[in-house]
Amino acid sequence: MTEFLQALILGLLIGGVYALLASGLTLIFGVMNVINVAHGVFIIAAAFITWSLWRATGIDPLASILITTPMMFAVGWVLYVTTVKRIAKAPPSSSVLLTFALALVIEGILGIVWGNTSHAVRTAYFDQSFDLGSIFLPKAAFYGCLVAVAVLAALYVFLNRTWTGRAIRAAAINPQGARLVGVNVAAVAAMTFAVGIAVTGAGGSIVSVLYPFLPGSHYVWISRTLGIIVLGGMGSLPGAVVGALILGVGETMTTTYIGPEWATAVPFVLIFVVLLLRPQGLMGARLREDVAL
Amino acid sequence: MTRIFRSPWALLPVVGGIVLFTFPFFSDDLFWQNMLILSMVFAIGAVGLNIITGFAGYVSLGQAAFLGVGAYTVGLGALKIGGDPFLWVPVAGVAGGLIAMLMGLVAMRTRGHSFVILTIAMLFLLQLIAINWDSLTNGTQGISLPIPTWDVAYQYWPFYYALFALLALSVLLTWQIRRTKFGMGLIAMREDEDKASTVGVNTPVYKMLGFVLSGVLLGMAGGIYAYYLAFIDPRGMFSILISVQIILCMLLGGRGTLWGPVLGAFLVEPLNELANQEGGGGNTRLLIFGGLMMLVVLFLPKGIIPTVSERLLARRQRGKAGLVGARVDGPLVVPDRTPPATSVKAGEPLLEVKGLKKHFGGVKAVDDCSFSVPQGSITALIGPNGSGKTTAFNLIGGTMRADAGEVWFDGRRIDRMPAYRRAHLGLGRTFQITRLFREMSVLENVVAPLRDFTPGQLNRRAFSGDEADKAMELLAFVGMERFRDMKAGELSYGQQKLVELAQVLMLDPKLIMLDEPAGGINPTLIERMGEMIRTLNSQGTTFLIVEHNMPFVLGLCDPVLVLAQGRCICEGTPDRVQSDPRVLDAYLGDDFTLDQPVGVS
Repeated sequence: MTEFLQALILGLLIGGVYALLASGLTLIFGVMNVINVAHGVFIIAAAFITWSLWRATGIDPLASILITTPMMFAVGWVLYVTTVKRIAKAPPSSSVLLTFALALVIEGILGIVWGNTSHAVRTAYFDQSFDLGSIFLPKAAFYGCLVAVAVLAALYVFLNRTWTGRAIRAAAINPQGARLVGVNVAAVAAMTFAVGIAVTGAGGSIVSVLYPFLPGSHYVWISRTLGIIVLGGMGSLPGAVVGALILGVGETMTTTYIGPEWATAVPFVLIFVVLLLRPQGLMGARLREDVAL
Repeated sequence: MTRIFRSPWALLPVVGGIVLFTFPFFSDDLFWQNMLILSMVFAIGAVGLNIITGFAGYVSLGQAAFLGVGAYTVGLGALKIGGDPFLWVPVAGVAGGLIAMLMGLVAMRTRGHSFVILTIAMLFLLQLIAINWDSLTNGTQGISLPIPTWDVAYQYWPFYYALFALLALSVLLTWQIRRTKFGMGLIAMREDEDKASTVGVNTPVYKMLGFVLSGVLLGMAGGIYAYYLAFIDPRGMFSILISVQIILCMLLGGRGTLWGPVLGAFLVEPLNELANQEGGGGNTRLLIFGGLMMLVVLFLPKGIIPTVSERLLARRQRGKAGLVGARVDGPLVVPDRTPPATSVKAGEPLLEVKGLKKHFGGVKAVDDCSFSVPQGSITALIGPNGSGKTTAFNLIGGTMRADAGEVWFDGRRIDRMPAYRRAHLGLGRTFQITRLFREMSVLENVVAPLRDFTPGQLNRRAFSGDEADKAMELLAFVGMERFRDMKAGELSYGQQKLVELAQVLMLDPKLIMLDEPAGGINPTLIERMGEMIRTLNSQGTTFLIVEHNMPFVLGLCDPVLVLAQGRCICEGTPDRVQSDPRVLDAYLGDDFTLDQPVGVS
């Protein structure tokens, strides 16, 4: 029982972090109908930047989200204007291949700048934990989850309480309708892409404390985040949160009861099962063109 | 493609093939042999990918999975069971095909983005299994294959010619696919899969067969590749970079072409070698592959061969006027046709809809709708925007599935059948916004419909003489025969409507459902459309027509069904419907008067 509770709590903690990481991916898909395969590599890029900041100044990685988030926002904006914009209307094959190509280029750059070795940010608390009776809460995961939830909450407020946020949601639900009521959908797409990438800035900083990483790790992260949004329903933000918690718990349960070497299989299995049984995902109630009868 | 064949460029592949075949006779340089061997592996991979991406339109990032499965089949087969590794190559093909079939089963309901995600997941899952299933695969340590037993004087010749043969076979296969019904069906699916189904293409079987062929080719290539490398490990074989290189070869050369993927492979592999030799591999390779793929997607999306042949064609056609503006006129050329007999007598319901329901969230688009279409009639389905007419069409045609209710056609219940089965039974339809296969020629569009499905059909010529004759006759009927060689996407909207009608007629349907045949076309054409419908009807074809042009409808159709809020509220002769207070209230308006029917002659 303790073992089960322990796995559950750990799963929910990392699930909270996953939710933040997947939110940007699902947001971009919802508004632009583009799967940003480079999402994972942005997470890793932010983790490397966090690592360098920490090495140079000793700044706490969780505090450095104040730097990495605006930084990644700018990166997202520039990328949108220079490349992504060109394929916004192209068929899925073009956007997937373009963002995938982008991921390869950035992976190569990361390898040249930081080397293809495993990095980790070792804060003072990285191997400490709170003991709650027989259950322990690793401090890094706990703080990471808290920060992730805070950023998610900020994102929620932004999407629901600001004009730009509402425009993003409107464009996601019905681009034509949004255009009719005066939303500049093209500008919203740029904003969405930038915000979606900015979120990986915060997410990457948190990841840098929780997991060791190298440039090639981005495949693990794109797999996880894709698994989450497929499960939750592509384009659905609440779906991403639910999907992330399920994936987090699924991974810790697999680690506990089957073996840690199979934990990375969980997102793939989820993708298979969801696409076989419920292609629109848990919360993707919308009728989608990419789902046949 | 055929255009290229007629030009001197057609000699290029022949010359290339001869050079490739004779190269080892003239040079014993192992560096070049190695490069050509690897180029051939990727060429086979790209040709295989071309079947599902270039033809059927499904983008796969998981092709390395088939290569890896083939490699492990040969490696494990030769090691654990024995025999010459080459004997295991056909088995590797079977293994690749089986994995492709599994993927196809999961992908039955998946398209577009979801499909790409699925292929990535499959590749990584298989890699993980190969890593974790230590007892079988020796995990990340990998396995070494038996050393070749032939005399060293033969160098890599057996690998070289095995791959040469497989490559020749792959190209031959694509060539054969392209000229048969199978290839035409795949291309129709790439252009518009739902539409392909409504004109009778058995999309699940076509799709599955495309996947399996692709898997078999890659599996066999992977098998030979493994024997050649003499060592395989999960990270090397199930590598997404192999998938990337395969995609890049196909994109660069030109997807959907015969030689594009081969050309691409012989361009990309030397680049790969260069990156490994000069740039130290790893990061340089990532930058080159990623950068090249970005450039191709952004600036050369069609690839080398299509771009070059378009340029050549444009140069040849410079100064010649196009046909787009040509008028459609002249007397109606009536085709000699008799639609297949129905099992119901004239006047009895050919199509019957009972209690049909379809809800989208809270919107009840079709809500307990019942009506019938008498055999031999031209029935109209009218109603205000949003009353559920097009949704009803989609439910009857099989493009959407109803939440509840029954659809009976010609004495059979069809509401659980896929669209292509309904088309085979004699149900044809057009779309409100025309849905032709845009990249296919007008004639190809008309020949594409299939009246049945048999395995033998797959290997039948795409254009048999009879079919081409019949298609030309139908094109003449709708007045579009001069446009036969134009791409359907280049036609005007009204012309597309006419071609779509000819396309549906190719099915020899008992019932034709037309969604706004008179919408958005000029008055002369409307009149002609009415004339054509009447002619076809007199030959025995029943019609169900959705239309907003009241003079057109009321002059042509009887009975008239009126839909409002997803329900059939009135049914009767045009006169009766025009004076029904419910219809005036819901749709026509109480100031409705019809001065003079148009479209009637």
